[in-house]
Amino acid sequence: MTSVALLGQILDYANRADPYPLYAELRRTPVVRDESGPYLVSTYWEIHSLLHDPRVSSDIRNLAPEAKTAPRTEDPDLPPSFIRLDPPDHDRLRRLIMRTYGPPHAPRRVYGLRGEISGIVSGLIDRFQGRDRIDLVDDFSYPFPVTVICRLLGVPQEDEQRFHGWADTVATAIEPAVGTPEEQQAHWQAIREAHHQLAEYLSGLIAQRRRAPREDMISALATDRGADESPMSLPEMLSNLTLLLIAGHETTVNLITNGMLTLLRHPDTLKQLRADPDLVIPLVEELLRFEPPVQLLPERTTLDDIEIAGTTIPQGASLWLVPASGNRDPRRFPEPDRFLPDRPDNQHFGFGSGIHNCIGSPLARLEAQAALAELVRRLDNPRLVEDPPPYRHNAVLRGPRHLPIAFDGLSR
Amino acid sequence: MRVVVDLNRCQGYAQCAFLAPDVFAMHGEEALLYDGEPDGTRRLDVLRAEAACPVKAITVEGAGAAWTAAGAGVSNGP
Repeated sequence: MTSVALLGQILDYANRADPYPLYAELRRTPVVRDESGPYLVSTYWEIHSLLHDPRVSSDIRNLAPEAKTAPRTEDPDLPPSFIRLDPPDHDRLRRLIMRTYGPPHAPRRVYGLRGEISGIVSGLIDRFQGRDRIDLVDDFSYPFPVTVICRLLGVPQEDEQRFHGWADTVATAIEPAVGTPEEQQAHWQAIREAHHQLAEYLSGLIAQRRRAPREDMISALATDRGADESPMSLPEMLSNLTLLLIAGHETTVNLITNGMLTLLRHPDTLKQLRADPDLVIPLVEELLRFEPPVQLLPERTTLDDIEIAGTTIPQGASLWLVPASGNRDPRRFPEPDRFLPDRPDNQHFGFGSGIHNCIGSPLARLEAQAALAELVRRLDNPRLVEDPPPYRHNAVLRGPRHLPIAFDGLSR
Repeated sequence: MRVVVDLNRCQGYAQCAFLAPDVFAMHGEEALLYDGEPDGTRRLDVLRAEAACPVKAITVEGAGAAWTAAGAGVSNGP
């Protein structure tokens, strides 16, 4: 049995700025066992096939305890969110959320946020006035998506700052704990504390909206009675709302930051986007292929022996899919390492595929399109201060920790 | 502009109904209804829907069906 020792290198922080050569090496064997245990799948069609295979489970309870290596982001006191469940439990929860969030029951929920999104973008950029340098992450990408989520859910503006604080702390759970055992202990303690405060806050908001519903998503969740299935319990609501908060937060931060980084590395494309702002629409799709915020899908489990690409993955194996590698597979995308803003037939894995495809994708698209078009329009002569910028530790949700940008002025 | 959806390809991801709700609508969880000749004021919504479709089932034709930089959007980077 062939095996490789690549997962350790992919997770190694030294390779964070450019993991793509490692993915190319990985693709030489589309399905391979890493010496650390899990099976790695790195080519487009094999990933596609497994994402649509009902024998591949996302339920963490099917995974052997020794195979659990990825950091835990969920509150251990709540039931698993739907991202970590299989049908039929997954389908019931996803359907119940969709009833309050998207078509056919709530078709204008996301579309109706366009005005808010553009207002938040303008407001954040206005604050660059009088400066000649910003950190895109701290000054823009980080505060933006959580503000949008607050508006979507219906978190009152006076509570937004507190909400931002919990969101920030809860989101640090995606990073591996570092430091002395005492420091790690304190890190997990702080996350648990934030989970509890967030849960308590959301419970209060749900109770309040149940009594006096408004037009927001929390009110819809709190008052929905379901169609054919039993409505969501309060712990289920808390678990899934926390998921939406974490998943919708970090990933969008990275999409926007990776977007500006990529544009600043491709000055011709930046110029084209300035001349034709609508180009941002296909450009964001190419960005999702070229620098996807979710690089790896760790810890799925095989419920049966699965034969694929000449290899049999045994039942009960831990499976790590590498969509960021599938996105660069030359057998699927011609010239995969070139950034082509209007690339035709761009069926990337930026939002996954199959039943777990990203529920936040329409919102993320609108946010990234609005942010990148407006940043490029308003920043005069923007330039990178350092390349590569410093990255976050996380290899799964990968993106810069800071992105210093220098510029000459700000357009109205 | 004219819109055509290949309903054999469509898998009900509903991106179009999220991004252009005046042109595309889900009927139940899987069936899609759409306006094949939408008003020009919906142009950007339609282009967003076309780009976002995960299975590329949407084709847009006629005036305003592409960005002016189409075909020129190529850069080798640094």
